[in-house]
Amino acid sequence: MTKGLLTTSVGSFPKPDYLLRARNQFAAGKLPARELEELEKRATKEWIDFQEEIGIDILVDGEQYRGDMATYFAELMDGFTISGLVRSYGNRYYRKPIAVGPVARRGPMTLEMWKYAQGLTGRPVKGMLTGPYTMADWSFNEYYPTREAFIMDLARAVHEEALDLERAGATYIQIDEPALSTRPEEMELGSRALGIVTQGLSAHTITHICYGDFAKVFQHLVTLPVDQLDLELANSNYQLLDYFRKARFEKAIGLGVIDVHNHLVEQVEEVKRGIKQALQVLKPHQIYVDPDCGLKTRSVEEAQAKLRVMVQANREVKRELGIE
Amino acid sequence: MITTLVGNYPKVPSLTDGPNLRTAITRYDQKRITAEEMARVADDATRDAIGEQARAGLDLLTDGHIRWEDEVTYFSRGLSGVSLNGLLRFFDTNTYYRQPIVSGALAWQKPVTVRDYTFAVEHSQKPLKAVLPGPLTLACHVQDNHYKDFKKLTFAAAEALNAEATALQAAGASFIQWNEPTLVRAKEHFAVFQELAKIVTRGITVKTALYTYFGDISGLYPQFLGLPFQVLGLDFVMGEANFGLLKGFPQEKELGFGIVDARNTKLEIVEELVGHLDGLRATVSLDRVYLNPNCGLEFLPRKNAYEKLERIVAAAARAKEVLL
Repeated sequence: MTKGLLTTSVGSFPKPDYLLRARNQFAAGKLPARELEELEKRATKEWIDFQEEIGIDILVDGEQYRGDMATYFAELMDGFTISGLVRSYGNRYYRKPIAVGPVARRGPMTLEMWKYAQGLTGRPVKGMLTGPYTMADWSFNEYYPTREAFIMDLARAVHEEALDLERAGATYIQIDEPALSTRPEEMELGSRALGIVTQGLSAHTITHICYGDFAKVFQHLVTLPVDQLDLELANSNYQLLDYFRKARFEKAIGLGVIDVHNHLVEQVEEVKRGIKQALQVLKPHQIYVDPDCGLKTRSVEEAQAKLRVMVQANREVKRELGIE
Repeated sequence: MITTLVGNYPKVPSLTDGPNLRTAITRYDQKRITAEEMARVADDATRDAIGEQARAGLDLLTDGHIRWEDEVTYFSRGLSGVSLNGLLRFFDTNTYYRQPIVSGALAWQKPVTVRDYTFAVEHSQKPLKAVLPGPLTLACHVQDNHYKDFKKLTFAAAEALNAEATALQAAGASFIQWNEPTLVRAKEHFAVFQELAKIVTRGITVKTALYTYFGDISGLYPQFLGLPFQVLGLDFVMGEANFGLLKGFPQEKELGFGIVDARNTKLEIVEELVGHLDGLRATVSLDRVYLNPNCGLEFLPRKNAYEKLERIVAAAARAKEVLL
């Protein structure tokens, strides 16, 4: 029987209300760090349990303890301070890292939470890291004379974290690089940095890329030093699949089948159609079915409903086509 | 030499005692405050932004674009035929804009920015300029479901922007600027832009400016210098090649010298800025120079934006001492 079509998630899940309140209280100095951590663990356990219950194959911890994906790591590293508020869009603001000295890892950053999450389940939990190119691109730089020097120091730090995760038993390690596709002229640099991160790892490595000018970056994407490319397909009506039709493609892809920017929950039938479209171009073992991106901007209810549809659609496709 | 800014200014004050626009928008979205209350906070924030520009010692101010969600949405949604779609990344920045969808004739109905401009003028001791999106930038950031013809779409955008400029002129604006980053990132549209430039400036007798940023004018030089605007703004941070493209800068035109990096918190050294002005003198005399950041200041936290303005003002003062 053919194997494949494993289900997974890109990384973040929405935080429950009690955790959002606790984070605000903690920020205002009204809640001790220990208590916040207990609530983060509670929310993590709830998400692990949910994923097991609906039958997802490769789990994530849901990043209940993270705010911004670059700032979270910068706060735990040497060489960074954190900026004042910067607007991202509409009424959304965040704080950006500022490199003010040589950046380096102080110690493990995600290891403890990964071990906690993995200890809750027999299924594999992905190690989730932010890639060096994105970390640098989403930071201010007051120290490094060149972007390259900044990115390479970050690559070494992220590599150390990946090694720690692998030693602890992680079999899937994802290095998110949503900024990578924004500058075709720097794809080679970003790819080199990713190569430093994944060097010597035996875990299945994944990078998540957000949609950029795909025509200009595709030739670089296919050669990125990872085992799996995780891509947004649903919000581009699966048009990206055409690129894979034209080229011989050996890697796996994370097939984004859920639009994370839309409140509306997908229909099972439309997700099934998306998976079947991908199967015309790729083999079942090459396809990992997941949402387009992190689900943290949706409500808990919306995110759970979307994940249920995803799993159900995948299960039906597998049954119809006899995939194990 | 005149010190100025390119357009927007951070909306949220670095200290908590400023007008809390962020909270007001949240409350307004939740229908907990009225449109009048929302407008009052936006006006307060506008006064605050103007006051800060003046305190930094700037000569020519803007209203800070306090009501603009991003560089294209605010103006677009004031036009007929437009609805709003999902978020897209704005160039290679980590900021996002809500994409306008054009599903009917794109036409100017009534002034969009005039009230903001006149309010700002009433509350400013210093001269103000009116800043609008450029026609190409506007057209390239919408999804066109109506014209299905790029040139027709750009012409409609240019006509709308001309109507707005005409209304601003009638309301007393003495300096009208269009911000056109797309022109230096999609140079294939230059021939079309030459026609658009004629449309937007038609009947405008006050001073006009075209600001480009996020790139250089290589490939458009020297024709770019012949565009029908009195002030031509260029980015010398992300478009270093512009240094070599000023030869033959027309005697009757003025230069917007974008030499301070509005996308990084690292502060420029005043003597280095003076050095750049010294170098510039060979091609453009300093009495025809506007000294400004390379692009809008909203990529920075408020505190850092203010410090950037202080450096611009200090560099202009120092240059007047040693160079004039």
